[in-house]
Amino acid sequence: MSFLSDSTGAAIVAAIGQVLHDTGRTVDAVEPQMLLAADLGLDSLDLAQTIVLLERSLGVDPFRAPPAGSTRPAIRTVADLVGIYSQGLSDRPVQRLP
Amino acid sequence: MNTQTFPNSNSGPSHLADAPAEDRLAFAITEVARQFPDRTAIVAGAGGEASRTIDYATLAAAIATLEAALDLVRPVGIIARAKRTESLVVIAAACGRQHVPVAFLAEDSRDLIGELRDWVTVDDSLVLVANPAAQRREFEAVATHVVVATSGTSGPPKLVEHSWDSLLAAARLAEQWHGLGWILVYDATRWAGIQVWLQSLLTGGRLVVPASRDPDVVLRAIVAEQATVLPATPTLLRRLLTSADRSLLAKARLERITLGGEAADKPLLEQAGAAFAGAKITQVYATTELGEVFRITDGLAGFPVNWLGRSLAGGARLGMRRDGELLVQLSRDSAEVATGDLIEKRGDRYEFTGRRSDVIVVGGAKVLPRRVEELLREVPGIVDARAYGMPSAITGELVAAEVVLADPLPAGSTPESIRAGALAACRSGLEPHGVPRILDIVKKIATNPAGKVPRRQS
Repeated sequence: MSFLSDSTGAAIVAAIGQVLHDTGRTVDAVEPQMLLAADLGLDSLDLAQTIVLLERSLGVDPFRAPPAGSTRPAIRTVADLVGIYSQGLSDRPVQRLP
Repeated sequence: MNTQTFPNSNSGPSHLADAPAEDRLAFAITEVARQFPDRTAIVAGAGGEASRTIDYATLAAAIATLEAALDLVRPVGIIARAKRTESLVVIAAACGRQHVPVAFLAEDSRDLIGELRDWVTVDDSLVLVANPAAQRREFEAVATHVVVATSGTSGPPKLVEHSWDSLLAAARLAEQWHGLGWILVYDATRWAGIQVWLQSLLTGGRLVVPASRDPDVVLRAIVAEQATVLPATPTLLRRLLTSADRSLLAKARLERITLGGEAADKPLLEQAGAAFAGAKITQVYATTELGEVFRITDGLAGFPVNWLGRSLAGGARLGMRRDGELLVQLSRDSAEVATGDLIEKRGDRYEFTGRRSDVIVVGGAKVLPRRVEELLREVPGIVDARAYGMPSAITGELVAAEVVLADPLPAGSTPESIRAGALAACRSGLEPHGVPRILDIVKKIATNPAGKVPRRQS
């Protein structure tokens, strides 16, 4: 659980929570190994919303401009999402929103 | 209100219409100044701390002075770079009668100034600086033009040349339009705003220029200066109705509301009818390419179903493409033009459902932002809404929306409960991809410089 308790992980858990809340769904807990689609029920629209919410809270959208020459690993679990955002935050100067 | 007719029945509109188009503004102002020198032409800064009143005599004198300077210098063109509406009027009138081309550049089109080589700038001082080295353009009998920047709603602003004839084509000169009080909520340097001040001053009217676009200031101006005619976009009217002080709203005595620039929906027309009892609401359907095509005066949304496929009073013929886009053929000899406006049959009317370019595409599915907005505005506690497309790497676009909450909030509700209620209403009334994924509560809905609602994230 410490994996999700750093600020990036916490932001991702919060974003997923809001997406589920906004769409009238609930979830008991978000765990790193959970599958976004199968366990949390997130579809592509949910993922798109999560990304906008995370751009607001973290100031980055790693999906908008993938690093040149890199192949994006599949995003299947919550941990994958944390990984890509952690990478995105360290790759670029952070433009945190106030 | 001053109800004297202008100037009088035998030197009135027929006489005015006889004058060449480019002379008409100066001619009309001079005529009113001669007969009613003290009549108020413009109230500037209305509804604010310090308003200024400019009478017709003062306006006419300023026009004469600038005309003399133009005649001496004969510039190739004048760039009107004034902040005050009265200065724009003086520059336009003087340039028209002196056959000098004139350009109006709004704030966002100042970069285009380079396209007007050798043109001379005139600001609020109304002083024309004579440069002996500058190119001259001698007086010619041929009509000159007026350059107006487009608002840039569909692409970057650009300069467009108009003839004085087309600039004045929509002006109503019949006696019922004389001596009215007009409120200017549009930018005075853009097409819609120019139309309002031309209309007002061509007919001996009183042009009321509010100190700002703030709804309370606009309403204070309407009340204090007894403006009775409001030309506006539905967006600007909605903002007045939803954001302005209730007691001010009750004091406004509007007689005419002329809506243009966007389609008005039924709830807005009903709200306006209730707030301004007795006001005649006219919706003007016009496009940049076609000019005015038709007017709706029955106060209902859209147009009658039987208008489709028939020649209208003005000679235009309406059609509809299979995908719902409105087609217009101005006359039998002209080509059919696709308007970019989508219409849909609802009962015995065709109602406007949005601009084709406003359609939000979410994972291949189309969403009409107006539909989302209409639904959101019906939610208790929400007074205004804007839906727009937000770019997404996953789905192409996402539906995003902004809502303005009622003040005070309905009893027992919180911003959170209203937001949840809005999302629930959208889930039950819209396809899943149409439900806003981003729903923000804002103080006011953003408008673009043309007074319309932007449909893309800027």
